[in-house]
Amino acid sequence: MGEAIVITSGKGGVGKTTTTANLGTALALQGKKVCLIDTDIGLRNLDVILGLENRIIYDLIDVLEGRCKVHQALVKDKRFEDMLYLLPAAQTADKNDVNPEQMKELVFELKKDYDFVLIDCPAGIEQGYKNAVVGADHAIVVTTPEISAVRDADRIIGLLELEENIDAPRLIINRIRPHLMKAGEALDINEITTHLSIDLLGIIADDERVISSSNKGEPIVMDPSNTAALGYRNIARRLLGESVPLMSMEKAPPSLFTKIKAVFTK
Amino acid sequence: MKAQVTHFLKNLVTIKGKNKGLVLYLDDQCAYTDLLAELKTKVSDPALDSDTEVTVHLNKRYCTDSQIQELSEVVQTNPHLKVVATTSDILTVEKSDQLIRESQSETYVGIVRSGQVVKAEGDLVVIGDVNPNGRVEAGGSVYVLGRLKGAAHAGTKGNRDAVIAASWLEATQLKIDDELETMTDELSSLSEQPEMECAYLHTNGTIIIDRLQELRFIRPQISTFKGGS
Repeated sequence: MGEAIVITSGKGGVGKTTTTANLGTALALQGKKVCLIDTDIGLRNLDVILGLENRIIYDLIDVLEGRCKVHQALVKDKRFEDMLYLLPAAQTADKNDVNPEQMKELVFELKKDYDFVLIDCPAGIEQGYKNAVVGADHAIVVTTPEISAVRDADRIIGLLELEENIDAPRLIINRIRPHLMKAGEALDINEITTHLSIDLLGIIADDERVISSSNKGEPIVMDPSNTAALGYRNIARRLLGESVPLMSMEKAPPSLFTKIKAVFTK
Repeated sequence: MKAQVTHFLKNLVTIKGKNKGLVLYLDDQCAYTDLLAELKTKVSDPALDSDTEVTVHLNKRYCTDSQIQELSEVVQTNPHLKVVATTSDILTVEKSDQLIRESQSETYVGIVRSGQVVKAEGDLVVIGDVNPNGRVEAGGSVYVLGRLKGAAHAGTKGNRDAVIAASWLEATQLKIDDELETMTDELSSLSEQPEMECAYLHTNGTIIIDRLQELRFIRPQISTFKGGS
């Protein structure tokens, strides 16, 4: 029996879908069998980020309404042998066409065949959110170092703490810009974690290549030299129970020697 | 029949003068209708011809709100009398439970997060932070062992002596009884390091923020501690 993890944030645009795609990929790279569920019905895009858009035949609504079997709707990511699958959201229905009982049953069935079921939650706290969290055992809250995102994360953590099936949510701080944090222009990691007071699962640097790789349908985590990719890989290892130290976001300050060298090489 | 005779012999309404006004002591054993009739005759006494404030004391009779209203109206059929209060020696179990709850202190351990509201009928002790958009409300005082960064309302039922105290008072809004203060930058009383502070209602109706240590002089009645050495 695998575990189901919902990835949520409250606020839109903080990187839930990117995080889901990258964590799923990172877990698959670690040799785990992973199923991603896009619950953002009506506004799906997890398939696009994974580059699987063209291969969707059936979707979540088709499964729930019995028009196909679950395995028929699952889209296999051929890059990862038999490790990564996606259950896409429907584009032509809306969030009220799904009820929480159906979702709970579906997630339960998928947990039997997969090590990890990652549920990509839509923004907001309405029906879509309820459908996404109902089957989950764990929750990951994604936020960015912006006050509005942290406010919404706080609200969503309050709601998650009321869910009996979910244990204490964990935090990912996304899109960190070290120079802004250092200058005090953005909330720093410490401020955010003490404010929200939940466990920090990991931090992801803001990187333009995350956007370009998403556009190409190749999750950034596949590029091992990228810092954002490293962040996602570290989170995946932490999910598997390893203790990985938090990576340092800022470059080491120049030493006296390099400063002196700089003077002479000018 | 004998019982009824003694009934009428007994005075069902006793009038006593107290301070500036009168107190009407109403018998609590007779029938309500008899009491009403007796009260009607007593208050129409032509001797009661100067404007007086009246307190109606019900002794051990339980009256509903509408009966109390009716009794007051009967008294006020005399244009010189004005009922200012109704007192009674008894309480319903419900009311007594409520009074107990209002005099007690409730403790909430955890973080009051955005969108959450924690309410208490008496005092409220929060062990943890109150985050922005979180709200704590109490019939009595609010004490936060943590950072108060949301909104706090003390004395929700009209207790103007209630206070709001916090280890770190950085609230967005403070309300005591029905006086609201939004903690904007224009407020001169805000400190840079709002550590160990309390808010109370000044007699002029504004909310004042002071050091926590001043509370024992400002509101000594808050202390319920008895004994010690």
